[in-house]
Amino acid sequence: MTLKADMRILVVDDMATMRKIIKNMLTQIGFTNIQEADDGSTAWKKMEDAIASGAPYEFIVSDWNMPQLSGLDFLKKIRSVESLKNLPFLMITAEAEQGNVVIAVKAGVSNFIVKPFSAQVLKEKIDKIFNK
Amino acid sequence: MTMQDDPAMKEIIDDFCKETNSLFVPLQKTLENLEAAPTNTKELERFGQMIDRIMGAAKSIGATEIATFCELGKTIGYKASQTKDVPLLNVVVAILFDTIDLLSKMIAKLQTGNATPLRGLNTDAFVTRLRWLSDKFKNIDRASCIVEDPDSKKNLSQASIDELMNSLGL
Repeated sequence: MTLKADMRILVVDDMATMRKIIKNMLTQIGFTNIQEADDGSTAWKKMEDAIASGAPYEFIVSDWNMPQLSGLDFLKKIRSVESLKNLPFLMITAEAEQGNVVIAVKAGVSNFIVKPFSAQVLKEKIDKIFNK
Repeated sequence: MTMQDDPAMKEIIDDFCKETNSLFVPLQKTLENLEAAPTNTKELERFGQMIDRIMGAAKSIGATEIATFCELGKTIGYKASQTKDVPLLNVVVAILFDTIDLLSKMIAKLQTGNATPLRGLNTDAFVTRLRWLSDKFKNIDRASCIVEDPDSKKNLSQASIDELMNSLGL
């Protein structure tokens, strides 16, 4: 499957530096339509706006540990909406406890990536998600 | 060649240093709040969450010494948030104040292009002290934000995660 370069991507992380790193990597991979949010609740608002405007996000890349609404709660919120049940969601985390992975899988995560990671690893994860 | 010699990386490192510097005041504020009310351990959760941000970005830019330092601070913050032992909490707060102080010096060194920020700061003894303190909480499992019903606390490598995801059909 060839991915569209202008696929609408939302990067969610509470550290602006991390958002920049991830956006740089996504740009390096070839994506051009990347927006960002600083935590799950801001991201949720952006998602609602995007849906209302008729241009919903097609891929979410989200950190796990964030204030207000964590990545896991954001994922659960997304999966509770019928039309978003299959929205590709890549979870990023600095820790990799088995329990967390299992919980994220149960909540419907599409894949999981541990910091630090390279653009190549990110690309492999994206390919895996979209080639299922 | 240091990280600062790569223009793209330099920009990211500058951003990282600025953003980390902006977190020191709120980090100190949480500790001041704890000093006033040591059992208000929600402040330690907040501390752990904030230092986790720095840790993740530090790992991503290859600032491993800073990442290690933050990881210990994060572990202590989250684990200490689950205890009500006031004398121990007082020690935690004092050491975390010093952690922030040293971390700010490490960031200052990184900002000036020093690729090995720990060197010259004599922080080895301090890291040992952080590890000693972290060890005080070895019977407490949760070292990060709350998740519901964790099946296991075993840490996984990216390869193990991939294997687990595969076994789950993902």
